[in-house]
Amino acid sequence: MIADLLTAVLVLAGLVFFAAGTLGLLRFPDVYTRLHALTKADNLGLGLVVLGLMPQADGPAMILKLVLIWVLVLAAGATAAHMVAQRTWTHGEFERRE
Amino acid sequence: MNAALLAFDVVLLAGLLGVAWRCLASTDLFRAVVLFITFGLLLAIAWVRLEAPDIALAEAAIGAGITGALLLVTLERLKHIMNPHRGDAGPSPPPDPVASDTGNADAEARDARDPGAGNVALSCAPTPARGRWSAVAVSGGLALLLMATLATQDHGPGLQPAVAAHMDVSGVDHGITAVLLNFRAWDTLLELAMVLLAGLGAWSLGRHDALPARPAPGPVLPGAVRLLLPVAIVTGVYLLWAGSHAPGGAFQAGAVLGAAGILMSLARPHSLPDPDPRLLRIGVTAGALLFLALGLWGLFAGPALLTWPRNLAYPLILIIETGATLSIALTLVALFVGGRSPREDA
Repeated sequence: MIADLLTAVLVLAGLVFFAAGTLGLLRFPDVYTRLHALTKADNLGLGLVVLGLMPQADGPAMILKLVLIWVLVLAAGATAAHMVAQRTWTHGEFERRE
Repeated sequence: MNAALLAFDVVLLAGLLGVAWRCLASTDLFRAVVLFITFGLLLAIAWVRLEAPDIALAEAAIGAGITGALLLVTLERLKHIMNPHRGDAGPSPPPDPVASDTGNADAEARDARDPGAGNVALSCAPTPARGRWSAVAVSGGLALLLMATLATQDHGPGLQPAVAAHMDVSGVDHGITAVLLNFRAWDTLLELAMVLLAGLGAWSLGRHDALPARPAPGPVLPGAVRLLLPVAIVTGVYLLWAGSHAPGGAFQAGAVLGAAGILMSLARPHSLPDPDPRLLRIGVTAGALLFLALGLWGLFAGPALLTWPRNLAYPLILIIETGATLSIALTLVALFVGGRSPREDA
């Protein structure tokens, strides 16, 4: 019961961060601020979701897999954000061809 | 709880249809590719909701990941073909970020942004103006028909009882793998042959040009690749091993390993040695050939073509799956790199 409550609170808190990150992606004016919103919010949001799912896991192996997913997304997200930012810095912003 | 799940399903379905429509209707090819990747991810979630985690894994890895990468690299090559002023002396790589740092950054940036005649042709689809309402009416009618069919259909158990009854002779503990590698091995052999044919087609059509992407300067990408490659290899082997008792198997494992190879060829295109052509050919054909050889062995020594004796089923399936994983991974990387290496023509 307490575990379920903890899960619900943490996952919902994580979803708030995801929603905030998505809002930032849609509303912020340029690439850098969008990246800032997206990566910060997604990493923290996914961390909270993973933390919330831990009480529901079957055992330590499952918990380790959940943590591994979070760490991998952190690494991949940070790398991708860095590359997008670097590309923008050297080549200018991607323009819509419309 | 059921209402929440229903709401989730409806949102997911609406998202799938919406993304599919935007993808097809987009006049910008780059946007269409990004939407196609999004569509693949949503489709993977849909497969999870249908309790088919095997297909969800394959869809996420192959449908969204590798097909997306293939489409993006195709788009980049198309731009090079359509922009002849950049390809004066053969296919030249795009402006090097390091070079553009030191001097003509503005000119390079303008050049990169300049759409050119080819890009206009690339990004202009024919305008879909006429017949829109009749199309909407037809699809609406089809949707109603489909819903009526689904509503009146009785949900039989299908072939699940038959599979469950014969699991003890299959050699593995996971129903999907039992069907793919034992009960319907013929289908899987043909799938492997298709993958092989795709690779052969890419090799026959052209030589491997320099990749259109250059490594980003700085230590971040090499560091991330160094971190991610071992994890990807372990994950791929784990998926292969897990296939005997849980969702996983050769196609998922091959896709993960292939993605690792694509990541490596994207991140370090200069320091990658060319593989030995003979070894590469053996690797690419290993899956289909092993499968066929063991299947023929079954014809002469065992019960029939493509069947395994009960006590040998597990090791044989493991051998086939390992070969198939290797071939699928190598073929996916070869498809991404596109064409045989120049060394082979020499």
